[in-house]
Amino acid sequence: MSADSQNIVFDNVSKFYGDVLGVNRVTLTIPPGITSLVGPNGSGKTTLMNLMTGLLQPTRGTIGVLGVSPNHPEQLFRQLGYCTQFDSFPRGFTGYQFVYSFLRLYGCTHAEAEEFTWAAIERVKLVEAAHRKIAGYSKGMRQRIKLAQSTCHGPSVLVLDEPLNGLDPLVRAEVIALLRSLAEEGMHIIISSHVLHEVDMISDQVVLLSNGYVIAEGKIRGVRGELDEQPMQVMIRCGKPASLAAKVFEHDSVVEARMHSDGKGLLVKTRDPDKFYLLLNQLALNGIGLESVVPADDDVNSLYEYLIGGEEPAR
Amino acid sequence: MAVHKRSYRAYEGALTPRWSRFLILTRYAAKGVFQSRIITGLFVISFFYPLLMIAGLYLNHNTQVLSMLKLASDQILVINGTFFLVLMTVQAAFAFLMTAFIGPNMIAPDLANNALPLYFCRPLSRTEYVTGRACVIFFVLSFITWIPGLLIFAIEGTLSGPAWAWDHRNFAFGIFIGSVLWLLLLTLIALAISAWVRWKLIAGALLLAVMFASSGFATAVNEILRVKAGFYLDPANLIAAIWARFFDVPIHTEMSITGAYAGIAVICGFCVLLLSRKIRAFEVVK
Repeated sequence: MSADSQNIVFDNVSKFYGDVLGVNRVTLTIPPGITSLVGPNGSGKTTLMNLMTGLLQPTRGTIGVLGVSPNHPEQLFRQLGYCTQFDSFPRGFTGYQFVYSFLRLYGCTHAEAEEFTWAAIERVKLVEAAHRKIAGYSKGMRQRIKLAQSTCHGPSVLVLDEPLNGLDPLVRAEVIALLRSLAEEGMHIIISSHVLHEVDMISDQVVLLSNGYVIAEGKIRGVRGELDEQPMQVMIRCGKPASLAAKVFEHDSVVEARMHSDGKGLLVKTRDPDKFYLLLNQLALNGIGLESVVPADDDVNSLYEYLIGGEEPAR
Repeated sequence: MAVHKRSYRAYEGALTPRWSRFLILTRYAAKGVFQSRIITGLFVISFFYPLLMIAGLYLNHNTQVLSMLKLASDQILVINGTFFLVLMTVQAAFAFLMTAFIGPNMIAPDLANNALPLYFCRPLSRTEYVTGRACVIFFVLSFITWIPGLLIFAIEGTLSGPAWAWDHRNFAFGIFIGSVLWLLLLTLIALAISAWVRWKLIAGALLLAVMFASSGFATAVNEILRVKAGFYLDPANLIAAIWARFFDVPIHTEMSITGAYAGIAVICGFCVLLLSRKIRAFEVVK
């Protein structure tokens, strides 16, 4: 099996809306797992998703979703489910009717549609509310029924535009758990989100977008490692931060050290993390009591700040 | 990177034929149409005139009743082109009224709810989506236009004998072709308005306005420019000209039949253009 048939591949894809840039020269390979598209408003996240799902045609370049071109919708949507950012529900439908009717449109027979509808509704834990009108659902329930609708036909790729928007913390946790379980079953899940700490929590990899360009992609730590111009920040919790600061400053790799406000920690900025971690090992062996050593800026929030920063405040 | 168990299995079973899937849309939308008491009431009322005519046909051929009333067979109803023209005009008016109520519900709610991507991700093409919606209007209106029209023609044909039916076969063609064209016009105008106007009430009013305004506009053009070409701007006149030709009834508008067909084609084409501009998976904001 070729790599292209297992991944979502963008090859030099550009999309212009007349004179307005949607995305430009995007070359990406998205492997299985949860991939988050991160970027400020207008950065091209939704355009990228619409291109992936064939709802928009690229101005230039080619796209392959597990080896299928979006120009072949019949094949594409056998393996792709799309959940838009809008609360898009045909009026008057119950949760059950919503999922069932779209399965019939997809091409399932009545019996299959019924079976898959209940399976999808059960997966999102909405069995009791299935026959209630969607208009009476809470925001979280709507988000879950949308998820059921987009996964009911058993797609291998799930594209979710802002799936965590407007959800309360409890429902967010439930939706995240659901997405994780789907990813663990082997789905490709593509998410766009503004909520950076949640992206950090659930994503296997990120794609950072700004003004229609991909500015970074890959595993979060891998991307962080490539930002040479930004010294890595490490938070060290220990009993004697002052003496630790004196010792780390003897080494060239450390560019800055700052005492934590509670006096029990030291925030160190280093240009050579590998060398610095070796140094910490030596210090620990020499009797400096270290309680914990945690990277302080290898998360999406920091990447956003470093790469996009200032365009729009991250939440 | 997570370690995936790969327990997930995508559905690989057979699917229903693609060509038939737009009918799911039609079915659901038709169900919604008859949830309105106004539409159901109007639908029922629209059968009164054909039923009255059927009763008239029965009496027209019932010698016992005719002798009891001391009437000749043609004295109750004269079955000629005018009879069918009046019948179809009455039914066309009901079809128009029904469209004003059904039409606005077809596309506007989906646009207002941003629901189009849902359909196109199933995947349904834009043509299939519009066809699915158009079929609702077309099927419902068929029951009050060409179906009762042909039924009355068939009843008269049965009562008067096959020779009458053969001699007047043009009437049957007229009932069917004229009705289909009228329904096509109404459906496309209603869908185009529904796609561009999101408020039901305004969309319904606009449909009425389009039909009445076009009639007024046509008259104004004729009066100001002292021509007869203004009639081509009025959809109702275009259909009337086609029916008049089929039913062999003279008309005052002096329209050429080719011009009438061309006028209908232009209006339909314009509506399709309006629909194609609006029925998109995503609204492009420039």
